[in-house]
Amino acid sequence: MDSVTPQVIFTIFGLPITDTVISTWVIMAVIIVFAWFIRKYKPGIAEIIIESISGIIASVMPDDTKVLRFLPILGTLALFLMIANIFSIFPLMVAPTANINTTFALAIVVFFAVHVYGIFVRGFWGYVKNVATPVFILPLEIISQVSRTISLSIRLFGNILSTDLIVAIIFSLIPFFLPLPLAALSILTGVLQAYIFTVLASLYIASAVEVEEKETERRRLKREAKLSSQLTERIN
Amino acid sequence: MWELDSPTLITVLTIMFSSIGIVLGCVVPAIMEGIATKHALDGMSRQPDAANDLRTTLLISMALLESTAIYVLLVILILIFANPLLDRFFV
Repeated sequence: MDSVTPQVIFTIFGLPITDTVISTWVIMAVIIVFAWFIRKYKPGIAEIIIESISGIIASVMPDDTKVLRFLPILGTLALFLMIANIFSIFPLMVAPTANINTTFALAIVVFFAVHVYGIFVRGFWGYVKNVATPVFILPLEIISQVSRTISLSIRLFGNILSTDLIVAIIFSLIPFFLPLPLAALSILTGVLQAYIFTVLASLYIASAVEVEEKETERRRLKREAKLSSQLTERIN
Repeated sequence: MWELDSPTLITVLTIMFSSIGIVLGCVVPAIMEGIATKHALDGMSRQPDAANDLRTTLLISMALLESTAIYVLLVILILIFANPLLDRFFV
């Protein structure tokens, strides 16, 4: 079980600091230095990264959505997960997403982001009306929101943990050369899971925003019909 | 086998049923992923224009299918490494 649960490295004022937290700090430092370096010296690379991430997000959202509105949270998720999932290939480091606390925190961020974006674009009562029409849908909606948060976190956690465990088991049996293809498989799984997490988060956000666009379209049609009827009245 | 004392019996049964469970939990999602991939490849070769949409949908549905196998793996990891029955009855 020692390989599954996080190890406490040291404590600050009785607060245990595990290796997951240290890996997360290292990843934060790497991302900050990388972003500063790219911004200072190679702005073209930043453009390529932003273009590719917004392309991934735009491929699952409806066609005329403004992707740049959701890029800060989804792009940050994609960058962090892309580095964090493959972080156990570096010596002395563990992947932070092989701990369920990290993945559950990320899934809760996505859970609140969906509602915040929904309320942000539709207004509070508009969003509540959207979720609860008809009223007996509301319990099902709540269950689906909670269960997809749990499944989002457990999927990422299980995938990363299982590939890391496979590499560790093979390494303890045959330490030479055989762990290499499995480590490559773990890198592939990590990148794929980062992609999946980002795509699912953007799908959930899109499901809160898409209805809003239908609603505005309907309002626009109604307003135009009203205007045209007024015009015809005035002409008559 | 029934002459074993209770913790050993629970451990042996846990390991046996964990093996059966991991076999089922690997085989069924693998077959279903194969079926999904087969149909997606059929669609891609029939309509190469829609290949990108199909690939995105295929990856998402494969991840959703894969997660059931991961749930089985997690339950079995808990059963083998941190068995709650052993902790509850025989501390």
